Amino acid sequence: MKKYRVELRKLPYFLLVLFAVLVFAMPVALAVLTSFKSKPDLAKSLIGFPDQIYLENYRGAIERSDFFHSILNTVMVVVPSVTLIVLCASMSGYAVARYYKESRILMLLDKVYLASLMIPFQILMIPVYKIYKTLNLLNTLHGMVFMLVGTSIAYSAFLYVGFVKSIPREIEESAYIDGCSEFKCYWLITFPLLKPISATVAALHMIWLWNDFNISVILLQKEAVRTITIKQFYFFGQYTADYGMAFAAAILSMIPVVLCFVFMQKYIVNGIVVGAVKS
Amino acid sequence: MRKELLFTDMNGRGRREAAGLWLCGGAWTVTENARGRFEMKKKGFTKYLFVLPGFCFFAFAMLLPFFMGIHIAFTDWDGVAPEYHFVGLKNFIAIFKDTRIKAPFLNTLEFALLGTVIGNIIPLSLALLVNGKYAKLNTIARVIFFIPVCLSSVLTAFLWKFLYHEFFPEVFGWKNILGNPRWVILGIVIIGVWNTAGTNMLIYLSGLKNIPLELYEAAKMDGATGIQRFRMITLPLLMPSFSVCVTLTLTSWLKEFATTLSATSGGPGGSSRTVSIYVFDNLYKYYKAGYGQAISLLFAFILIVVGLLVSSFFRRREVEL
Repeated sequence: MKKYRVELRKLPYFLLVLFAVLVFAMPVALAVLTSFKSKPDLAKSLIGFPDQIYLENYRGAIERSDFFHSILNTVMVVVPSVTLIVLCASMSGYAVARYYKESRILMLLDKVYLASLMIPFQILMIPVYKIYKTLNLLNTLHGMVFMLVGTSIAYSAFLYVGFVKSIPREIEESAYIDGCSEFKCYWLITFPLLKPISATVAALHMIWLWNDFNISVILLQKEAVRTITIKQFYFFGQYTADYGMAFAAAILSMIPVVLCFVFMQKYIVNGIVVGAVKS
Repeated sequence: MRKELLFTDMNGRGRREAAGLWLCGGAWTVTENARGRFEMKKKGFTKYLFVLPGFCFFAFAMLLPFFMGIHIAFTDWDGVAPEYHFVGLKNFIAIFKDTRIKAPFLNTLEFALLGTVIGNIIPLSLALLVNGKYAKLNTIARVIFFIPVCLSSVLTAFLWKFLYHEFFPEVFGWKNILGNPRWVILGIVIIGVWNTAGTNMLIYLSGLKNIPLELYEAAKMDGATGIQRFRMITLPLLMPSFSVCVTLTLTSWLKEFATTLSATSGGPGGSSRTVSIYVFDNLYKYYKAGYGQAISLLFAFILIVVGLLVSSFFRRREVEL
């Protein structure tokens, strides 16, 4: 048991870590606790445990907030967007990384992508609204997908460029010699090699797009197309008195992202660190 | 022609292999350059086909609105009507005469200042805290610090509204600071820092991991105290992380929109309204889209200048090992 004995001198350090963990975990823990409380339980005490686990909140949340419909909307937006981002950005990143030395256009494209990372979304807000209004794309899910993909391409391509540069060219070149066409060579040889960075891009964007607020608040105003984030924005405005139910809805909506984080943790951490170091 | 087939890029490629590349034709051309060497180039437009789909999306969602935005800023478009007129610099002149814009502007500065300071001190402390030798404890702590990053700003704002509104008054007897015009910005900054601290913590952590331990040992031998070691070794070597984190937090707080909109929608009495929310209001509330776009254009310009200045300030202080 000696292994588990902690030096007494280190006690303040452990207390400090414990305190920080408690502060950070407290809001989420409290939300989970509240979501299992009935109204009388909640009125009695905010921090105490409920007498019995009360699942009505979850049932109510699913029925009243039209929960499945908005989750379905979100899935219908996020899944195609992430797929398109991975496909388009990996191809762009590959071409830029391989040929930017010999093509001025590609070098310029790389610079434009980098510069676009600095554009704040606010400046696009009004023009995007106007474009979507003219093209009748407001309140459509595919319109939302175009926007999400377009705003994510630059950053993901930038992550891919860095990664492709670390893959040796020789493998592709030997495939060319064997008579492989460029697209075939890319899909059969390079794309599988990009798996780690594809996982990073997919996981990061899965979380970001699931939680997107800025774009959806402008494009998705109608009830029928609202994604879960927008739904909650209005839902929380309406039912703030009923905390138990609101938190049940909140917890249900964060399950997919938290699961994504837990399983893809390594890739997400990697993506953030790589992106930060390069920029 | 006794010249050898040489390539600008010679990653140990054998000559036979290179000749094979040349022979397979079509995709490659070999040309002689000014120094009498042979260069290998990919022919054709295939490489542009690779970037085309991504670029189409990018052009549609970023380039087109960007240039169109410049145009809108010079018009009197109200956000609804199909027709509008070119008004020249009128919108930009109006910004300087607008009395309503002063409060959002000052609020944004306050957000940026508080957000950058708190949003870097806390993540740095967390990173220092979990950079110890207790692997298991540190991993668990890291995951817990990172979980708020997965939550949307709407959700986070709602969670904290509950805390400020119900939990703190009941448990600690604190008043709701979101209702107080003086402290509301601090309240929102706390929400935002809780939501994003995980990202900055990771960046600082990777910076800390890159500092060689020998430096600390040598300093210890020379009798440097813990604080001295932090000031003379950790801080200078952490500069790359500082330049990334400070620039990112500063610009993101200057853009502050979603958390504030869902926590207080700019209230009470406009005391937490930011420039971004003001632009949004100009589109949906006041029907002055052209004017709103002029504000956001000017603001984006300030944002980029500030971002570049801050990052070059820190870049100059980076040291090489």
